[in-house]
Amino acid sequence: MIQSQISNLKSEIVFEDVSKFYGEILGVNRVNLTIAPGITSLVGPNGSGKTTLMNLMTGLIQPTRGRISILGIAPSDPQALFRKVGYCGQFDSFPKGMTGYEFVKSFLSVHGLSNKEAEGKTWRAIERVDLVEAAHRKVAAYSKGMRQRIRLAQAIAHDPAVMILDEPLNGLDPMARAETIRLFRQLAQEGQHLIVSSHILHEVDKMSDRVVLINNGYILAEGGVTGVREEKMEEHPMQIMIRCDRPQEFAARVFASDSVVEATLHPDKQGLFIKTRNADAFYQLLNRVVVENGMNIESVSPVDDDLNAVYHYLIGSNGGGQS
Amino acid sequence: MNPIIELDQLRIEFGKRRILHDIKGALHGRCIGLLGPNGAGKTTLIHTLLGFHKPAAGTARIFGRDIRTEIKEIRTYAGYMPERDSFIANQTCVHFVRLMAELSGLPSEAALERAHEALFYVGLGEARYRKLGTYSLGMKQLAKLAQAIVHGPKLIFLDEPTNGLDPPARKRMLELIREVRDSGSASVVFSSHLLRDVEECCDEVLIMKDGRIAAICDLEEERRANRRFVEMETRGATPEFALAIGSLGCEYAMTGEQRVKLVMSDGLEVRDIYKLAAERNVQIRRLNYKRDSLEDIFLKAMEQ
Amino acid sequence: MAVYEHTYKPYEGKLTPAWSRFLVLPRYVYQDLFKYKLFIALFVVCYVCPLIYAVLIYLRHNTSALAAFGVTSFDIARELPIGGGFFFAFTNIQTWLAFIMTVIIGPVLISRDLANNALPLYLCRPFTRFEYIAGKMSVLLILLSLITWVPGLLLFLFNSYLEGGGWIAENWYIATAIFTLSVSWLALLALLSMAFSAWIKWRTAASAALFAILIIPTPIGFAIQGLFGTTVGHLLNPAMAFGSLAKHLFRLDWMDAFLTEGESWFVFAAYAAVCLFMLSRKVRAYEVVS
Repeated sequence: MIQSQISNLKSEIVFEDVSKFYGEILGVNRVNLTIAPGITSLVGPNGSGKTTLMNLMTGLIQPTRGRISILGIAPSDPQALFRKVGYCGQFDSFPKGMTGYEFVKSFLSVHGLSNKEAEGKTWRAIERVDLVEAAHRKVAAYSKGMRQRIRLAQAIAHDPAVMILDEPLNGLDPMARAETIRLFRQLAQEGQHLIVSSHILHEVDKMSDRVVLINNGYILAEGGVTGVREEKMEEHPMQIMIRCDRPQEFAARVFASDSVVEATLHPDKQGLFIKTRNADAFYQLLNRVVVENGMNIESVSPVDDDLNAVYHYLIGSNGGGQS
Repeated sequence: MNPIIELDQLRIEFGKRRILHDIKGALHGRCIGLLGPNGAGKTTLIHTLLGFHKPAAGTARIFGRDIRTEIKEIRTYAGYMPERDSFIANQTCVHFVRLMAELSGLPSEAALERAHEALFYVGLGEARYRKLGTYSLGMKQLAKLAQAIVHGPKLIFLDEPTNGLDPPARKRMLELIREVRDSGSASVVFSSHLLRDVEECCDEVLIMKDGRIAAICDLEEERRANRRFVEMETRGATPEFALAIGSLGCEYAMTGEQRVKLVMSDGLEVRDIYKLAAERNVQIRRLNYKRDSLEDIFLKAMEQ
Repeated sequence: MAVYEHTYKPYEGKLTPAWSRFLVLPRYVYQDLFKYKLFIALFVVCYVCPLIYAVLIYLRHNTSALAAFGVTSFDIARELPIGGGFFFAFTNIQTWLAFIMTVIIGPVLISRDLANNALPLYLCRPFTRFEYIAGKMSVLLILLSLITWVPGLLLFLFNSYLEGGGWIAENWYIATAIFTLSVSWLALLALLSMAFSAWIKWRTAASAALFAILIIPTPIGFAIQGLFGTTVGHLLNPAMAFGSLAKHLFRLDWMDAFLTEGESWFVFAAYAAVCLFMLSRKVRAYEVVS
């Protein structure tokens, strides 16, 4: 029992009752998290504590209270930690006068690798972010997207087991976004931990294994996207929009069932909104109704079965410091 | 319908480097998306249309007015929201937006009225009396939008307007863009890397690559056209379901553990799919006809 | 109940005349400046000297008033000749006050716009770089004119009124001198402070640069003169040019001047050209990255 617990520890990132205060200002409060390998996304408004959480993970700051363990290593042991952790921050600053290649290699040499090893790893990282042609140009001449990618390369060059990436897709054009997401998924499959913070919810939806929602310094929810929805929104019936050719008939048929709480005709008479407490039962009912009554379905869209809806429900527009 | 922007063999050079290569095209949409990889020349194009660069050859026309000779008129009814931070730190937001309005030619009292109107419209409340240097990123974006619309322009250039905004702020920004577009009083040029945002707001897109036009695409038309592509999200024995669809003669592909894309074969209807689903106890949780979504259009344009 | 919708509306009213738009900039700067009581105090202090000079002019023509104060043995007509020297002294004092004002107002004029990339927002409007620079210059020129040649010319007219006769025709060169010297010096100060503001981010450093450009060339010029026996070094010195111009324009025989009138104008023009060049490099809607 204890053996398996210990070996679990070595493959997870654990936050135990962690709080961080900056004087009186709250960073995060009483955070309990266990992060498994794969892509875990941090989602929340600006100023919600995402950056604090990431800085705690990299050991850049120490918690006011609580214990953190990154793959069995405490952040108070920076030597060991930095071998395992790669960090790509939000800010777009670089040492002056360096080329992309020099930028990545200089960070590697800090890790005590031999010149040949460092060269090899540098090129591998640069290849992974697809910047080989531009590697020997000065970083100052890079476009925004290229600067983002070279910082990514620097974060992954030393093959860390944990990669902490603050808005890594910022400034990337659509193709670079797709390729970077592919790279992340590949790294995730290799068993690495990727902690990614992002505001673009449909991308988070597509690429993440797990999501952590944070607001005002508190963790509001954690888990797989659909899992979070099912847990938190039980009190909240699921809404589905159905566009079809005979909505009144459809409404009449489904109303008779227990699973439907509410059915509202769409003003354009071409569809209806359904509210249901039992999604499984409803969808099976839907199949039957369509087949038996020969209906023509135009589209079926769950209005709130995605991260967008969960975010709105848990955080809404009260997040951050907006006025 | 008269084009809003006409590009006529437009060539832009910085010293010896050619940035825009004799580009030619006409844009009519109410909300025009401007897409392309970094370095394609999008920002240069916007800057040229605003008169910051003189063409080395060719020209462009906005509402029929030539940028080489009538740039002052064009600037009177153009608005610009730059990608980078753009503000004066020690001025209050109202002061700043009012100054911009007056520089666009509004008389002093009208400028004050419209500054407040614009700030109310974008949703900056009490914060408008605070200095811009104290603003968060989202508020700075809203202030930038306010100064872009305060003088009631007919064409508004937005360069990455949702940059750095958290989800509710992004939603609000896109709502604002759609409202401006739907008011009928202004057209919008929306440059962004987020294809979803562009798809939500735009009815026409201009895709650029390496200083050339890769494609001009009328999204409205695309949406109305051929409706045989169907996308579904399912729950249940999806692989078998997909195989069954294939046996009906449809081309299909599984794009995720519980996602299926298919091309309806002739004579097939959606209820036939439902029959298969009912037989296999598969729930179809989401279903819609999908045109070549903007992503596919974009990738195709890039391959050329 | 009626619910009012607030949608996007275009502007349909009248526009201000295009030529007057550059004046928007000084208006906004003055609104901000005159909020500070200290600044208002300084502005008022700049009028102390004109007031004193006005009193002196009055006393010069009304010796009886002096007698009323019990001062009988003071021959004011001899002790206080009102001519080129008198008005030059006034101009000198007021232009130094103008310099102090420039050091307060000038260094932030352009740096604040550049600090956060606000230039594109100015220039995407029907507002050219030329109007921008003209507008910023007027901030200084209008204010500084109000404390230099405007009171100077008023004092001149006051004196010519009291003198009567052909005094004004004989001494018209003084009026020209007051105006020409003040305006060109103010223009130079304005351009210098704006050029420094455009290139130097920190206010203190830009102010220091202004002081430096007036003070440092003097010892350098004299060093060159001492070492090589040539007055060419003084061509670097705007303050020296100011002094030399004053001598020539006010016809001050007792003053030493190391530069001719032509050379002095050349110095002014050269510095102005360099400043305009510096400004044109920074006042742009976009950064050119090579």
